[in-house]
Amino acid sequence: MFKKVLQSLSKSFGSKPGAPAGASAAETIVPTAKAPAPVPSRAAAAAKAVAASPAQSPEQMCGVTPKMNKSEIHAHLKLLYRRYNRGASSLDAKTRAEADNMLDAIVQVREKHFGEL
Amino acid sequence: MAEYVGIDLGTTLSGLAYLKNDGAPEIVPNADGERLTPSVVYFDAHEDVKLVGSAARDGGDPDRTIFQIKRHMDDPEYTVQIDGKPWTPAEISALILSKLKRECSRIIGDIDEVVITVPANFNELARKSTIAAAEMAGMKVKRLVNEPTAAAVYYAQTQNVQGRILVYDMGGGTLDVTILEVKGDKIRILTSEGARHLGGSNLDDMLLSAYESQYREQTGAALYSDERHRRRVLQAAEDAKKMLSKLQRVNDTVANDTNSGIARIDLSREGFEKTIRRMLTRTIMLVEQALDSANLKVGDIDAVVLVGGSTRIPKVKQMLEKFFGKPPKTCGNVDECVALGAALFAKSSAKIQEVCNASYGTLAMVYNAATKEEKLANSVVIPKGSDIPCSRTQTYQTSEDNERMIEVDITQGEDEDPKFIDVIGRLTLEVPPNRPKGCEVEVTFSYDENQRVRALVVDKQSGRSREVAVSYRGAGVLSDEELKRRSHHLRAMRIE
Repeated sequence: MFKKVLQSLSKSFGSKPGAPAGASAAETIVPTAKAPAPVPSRAAAAAKAVAASPAQSPEQMCGVTPKMNKSEIHAHLKLLYRRYNRGASSLDAKTRAEADNMLDAIVQVREKHFGEL
Repeated sequence: MAEYVGIDLGTTLSGLAYLKNDGAPEIVPNADGERLTPSVVYFDAHEDVKLVGSAARDGGDPDRTIFQIKRHMDDPEYTVQIDGKPWTPAEISALILSKLKRECSRIIGDIDEVVITVPANFNELARKSTIAAAEMAGMKVKRLVNEPTAAAVYYAQTQNVQGRILVYDMGGGTLDVTILEVKGDKIRILTSEGARHLGGSNLDDMLLSAYESQYREQTGAALYSDERHRRRVLQAAEDAKKMLSKLQRVNDTVANDTNSGIARIDLSREGFEKTIRRMLTRTIMLVEQALDSANLKVGDIDAVVLVGGSTRIPKVKQMLEKFFGKPPKTCGNVDECVALGAALFAKSSAKIQEVCNASYGTLAMVYNAATKEEKLANSVVIPKGSDIPCSRTQTYQTSEDNERMIEVDITQGEDEDPKFIDVIGRLTLEVPPNRPKGCEVEVTFSYDENQRVRALVVDKQSGRSREVAVSYRGAGVLSDEELKRRSHHLRAMRIE
């Protein structure tokens, strides 16, 4: 059983933006994707994954460990691919570049464990 | 007047097709005699004219030439400055559409209403910008249709492809993978996945690097020092790429723009395939993602069909054959089938069931009573793959006592982890004071046939509600008033 409590980014991270008190229902809303948000961004996540150490191997970048079996590696790479493929479409050039690095690492790990296509 | 018209507004090439009286789709050539028009715009410095197509691509000053504007259709801040005037991506696209409309109308009669194709994973703003571009060009958009859907319609109606089909659409700028079911003349889309910056132009850039390194090895100099020459070499690299789809070895001679001598460029298909291998593996991972999204296995696919110029590369076909255990089908005119399919779609859209291409939801603290864990998660309201048009509602609770303003973030993306989704908007609703936390709030998302989303929030206790469409503001987005003004201006322009 799950209970879902509505949260916004601002509530979740304790910095409420100035709400338009008394505002009547407007016809449109303005996307916040470009506004600074306190939520850990994909860029930050990618940066952490990519830039943690310049000497990281593709496996380390992808979090693939020797204990993982082939099926686990395959599933993990698929999850990473889905996430970073989205990042590769970002409007932010830095996020795009970081996602691109991760995608390259994902492909290298895939080729190493499952062979070249 | 042409009744059923489809336009493929592509990253590198655009085309217009119409349905003839016998119901067969046909590409309409532009006034330059070309079946497809390069999506390139040149703003001449001497005459008040905008060149669109091959003349724009091959001619002028790179600072006044706009390539691949489609890649910026989703950027609310993107503009191109020409002679101090900012041009939005929608306006540049409108110039391309204007050329198609004006020149094709001379052959098939007036064009008022069209179906325009867009990549499956085009977001809200990019779809809206495409509609705005058509309006500025003097055309009403009957429907936007996803490119792979249009291509599938073409394959189904002209190539007799039936069953569960995977469309592998690798164009100039994007890759789309769509799985659909074709039964007779009925088509049901199961899923679409896309990679925005993965197309033929990425492969051209890789070949350009090969040109650069061979030139430097032989002459010790850089191959180009300005954008104009870089464009010329890039065009040579693209030509070489096309040749390598037919030949095992290609030679070219190039000089740089600072008289450092001539170099002989030697390219082999094997070397090219090695260079692009990782990029192609990414495309297979997108195929796997599509299969997972549709809960299908490789063996469930009856046919793989190819769309887009990049699918002419032999390695693409070999790789797909190896992955699926059967050769993909190709119709020959892989560059044209999207426009042709769009014209067919204009007549038969009622028989095609499309799906939502992304999940939409909101952020919520999700409490798991079994594990007693609570975490901030992306709570999906409309799951990706839902039949469209559609509307879905979920009930949430307020989080604080005396909460006066309910804030709902609108998210796009499937991942439960908020780090890997996009927040595309926020909706606020003022509610009465002095209420305890835990009041119920209904969040409804609606998704229309043009794949645009609306959100409705209802506070159940007070009955207050607010419904909105996601809209965008930025230097690259025109207001409705500005759109009208610029449409008027654009229709008076000389476009050739």
